Amino acid sequence: MNKIKALERQLEKLIKIKRHKYHPLIHKIHKEHKISRKTLLYIKEYGPHSNISKTIVRESIKILLFASILSSLGGFALEGLKSSFLTLLPLIILLPALNSMIGGYGIVLASKFSAMLHEGKIKQKWPINKELKILICQIFVVACFAAITGLAGALLFSYYLGYILTSAHILKLLVTVIISVISIVIILALIVVIVGWYTYKRNLDPNNFLIPITTSLADFINMIVLALLLLLLF
Amino acid sequence: MPFFDRNFQDIFFSGIISVIGGIFAGAALAIYKDKIILIPGMLVLLPGFLELRGNISGTFASRLSSGLFLGIINPKKFNTRVIFGNLMASFFLVMIISVVLGVLATLFTYIILGEFTFKIIFLSIIAGILANAIEIPLTLITTFYLFRTGHDPNNIMGPFITTTGDITSILALLIAILII
Repeated sequence: MNKIKALERQLEKLIKIKRHKYHPLIHKIHKEHKISRKTLLYIKEYGPHSNISKTIVRESIKILLFASILSSLGGFALEGLKSSFLTLLPLIILLPALNSMIGGYGIVLASKFSAMLHEGKIKQKWPINKELKILICQIFVVACFAAITGLAGALLFSYYLGYILTSAHILKLLVTVIISVISIVIILALIVVIVGWYTYKRNLDPNNFLIPITTSLADFINMIVLALLLLLLF
Repeated sequence: MPFFDRNFQDIFFSGIISVIGGIFAGAALAIYKDKIILIPGMLVLLPGFLELRGNISGTFASRLSSGLFLGIINPKKFNTRVIFGNLMASFFLVMIISVVLGVLATLFTYIILGEFTFKIIFLSIIAGILANAIEIPLTLITTFYLFRTGHDPNNIMGPFITTTGDITSILALLIAILII
């Protein structure tokens, strides 16, 4: 009974701590009462005394603004090559699919890595474990397969829309897609690990940061890669 | 830990569905390229606009999943303080970021073409509201459904959101163009 009252008092205290302050109380409650750090972070950030929408907006707004600027810069590179881009119908069809891939795999990697961090599966000294390595390899295999399927679909649609396909064109498009996918997976993995580890060490919820940073940075670099490939190959 | 485990299956199927959805959205983009892409500044707006669904609905789904797994969110109750707060925040964020994306597209178009096209700001706001009016409730319902049926929403929601997001975004852009 006393233990529960002590826990209640500690939780009340935890909720009142300002977010920018370091709070060793999380570690203390975690050790004493065996409550996971993730649960404690949730209680602190979204507990009964907090303004949930304000907390989310405050945490997300800067990163979303950063993501918007970065994506627009990526689009800016493509806008500059609009005339040659518009002549490549399969690439227009593939653009949302590539965007989906970045977003989709970015979210999977980011949310899984956040969960690993919260569950204490990632060690303090080195942010990569076996589970993460396997996850990255799985995403790489699926991404390559999905990209080739996507390209086949884009070529079919283009042919249906009257686009003339040559074998040289198909080969160039295949090279473009494969290079894009390889760069996407490498960039996603690097960003997720570095940013996720950094935000978690600063006692922030990686869920709110990782997804926008990962997808926008990867998207930006992918746009630059696409623009470069457009210039070099077509 | 086997390579071709349940995780792989989830990621594989959602990845394939994601690409198929993306191709359909791309086909719509290709068919209506005269209406959408030829608008000055649209290629500046498009990547950020497509990404916005993933960034906002993705974090929303991720927070919901965390809450569901921790037992803080009840999978049978939609009408709670945590969910309402999340919904409000998501809609508010969409409004702000849509304005920012529109302004950035206008600015970059001015840099490239030397002309101001304010239309793209309104286009971004209207399309943003339309797309998220569909996407956010869809994310909420699907995350709850997946959790209740024994799946890990983290594995499926990412590709699901980006796929449905691409389709709703392109449709919303077309509707916004028609409105403006």
